[in-house]
Amino acid sequence: MKTPRNRFLFIWGAPIVLGLLSIFGLLAALLGTGIWHWGSWLSLSVLLVVIAKYWWFPART
Amino acid sequence: MTAATTVKTWYLVHKWTSLVCTLFLLVICLTGLPLIFHHEIEDLLNEGKPVAELPEGTPNANLDQIVAKGKALYPNEFIDYVFIDDHEPQAYVGLVTELGKGVETGHAVRVDMRTTDVLYDGPPYAEDRFSFMGIMLALHVDLFAGLPGELFLGFMGLLFVVAIVSGVVLYGPFMKKLEFGTVRAARSTRLKWLDLHNLLGIVTLVWAFVVGVTGVINELSTPLFRLWQSTELPRILAPYQGRTVPTELASVQRAADTAMQALPGREVSFISFPGNAFGSPHHYVVWLKGDTPLTSKLNTPVLVDGVTGELSAVARMPWYLTALEVSRPLHFGDYGGMPLKILWTLLDLVTIVVLGSGLYLWIARRKATDARVAELVRRHQQAAAPQRSPA
Repeated sequence: MKTPRNRFLFIWGAPIVLGLLSIFGLLAALLGTGIWHWGSWLSLSVLLVVIAKYWWFPART
Repeated sequence: MTAATTVKTWYLVHKWTSLVCTLFLLVICLTGLPLIFHHEIEDLLNEGKPVAELPEGTPNANLDQIVAKGKALYPNEFIDYVFIDDHEPQAYVGLVTELGKGVETGHAVRVDMRTTDVLYDGPPYAEDRFSFMGIMLALHVDLFAGLPGELFLGFMGLLFVVAIVSGVVLYGPFMKKLEFGTVRAARSTRLKWLDLHNLLGIVTLVWAFVVGVTGVINELSTPLFRLWQSTELPRILAPYQGRTVPTELASVQRAADTAMQALPGREVSFISFPGNAFGSPHHYVVWLKGDTPLTSKLNTPVLVDGVTGELSAVARMPWYLTALEVSRPLHFGDYGGMPLKILWTLLDLVTIVVLGSGLYLWIARRKATDARVAELVRRHQQAAAPQRSPA
């Protein structure tokens, strides 16, 4: 059986991780250069990879 | 309120804020695509000459010489400003036929900062509004309506932000029993697009929220500058009250040097000349930027006496102008090289899909509702018909 905490993470786990990645990606390039630009590009790319993955290979229902 | 009515309320908020702003947001997203690459497109359209190929580290010429090149082309006009490009070693010398009428009568001459060659003698801004990029910018920012247009689109942006927030609230109940990323493609087109709308919306949530909020702040730039000009500036300018714009100006290079001495380690990004509509009638306002990625986006205004070239004051930068300055890169996506611009483009395209699918879902739902109503009417008529027929 699922506890309420698990139910919360079931819905919001992935959105929270993606949100944190977005914040990191947006700020990394603003606050740093060099490696931080790469960090920014990579973390924002994850959003697009996630979209592509689930659009073409949806989770099973 | 019960959980069901709460969801219903949020649904109505989401529906109406989205419906009102969607068409404008679609235009904003589409025109935003070329604007992300405005620098590259302008280079490609190749108006005028590029900067000279010179070894790195070739020193810049004196600002007075650079300004003089613009003035030489238009001896009867006034210098309005000098803007130092942050990509190429070039400066834009702004000129006006009448002081304080930068928007109406202004135009700029682009000058190579090392050779002082005139690279491009630009058309008046008023004319430039109808170039391709000018039209894109107007549709994105003010719909050719100036400040009222900016405030209107700013309000549409605000509705977009409310739509995002209400969309996130609705995401919870919608996804209660569905695994993240579920797209029920097999059952109906509407269900498939509902799932895609939810997925694309939640993945791009933070990006769209940040670009939305910073877009609204950018739309407020005119009133924010006016606020600064009418609250902070008068205090500094009080001793100079009643003076007219000086006819004999101090050297602009001297003004720049004075400002840089006051704030060492910073460099000039913009100088408004005395009489500039957004500056002071008696001063050069020298905007200095820092040299780190973040502080290079943050400018501090230094007021230099327009006649003596001496320091008058380092103006305090109010929090709302700092917010505006930080909002610019976060909206434009121009602070992380070409890869960031490409990511901005792709995320913009995803947002267009979210907007389009939202509109489709509303129409499809209306159709479904209409069909259900028609069905009920038909049944009702069928039930009523046998009673009427014997008569």
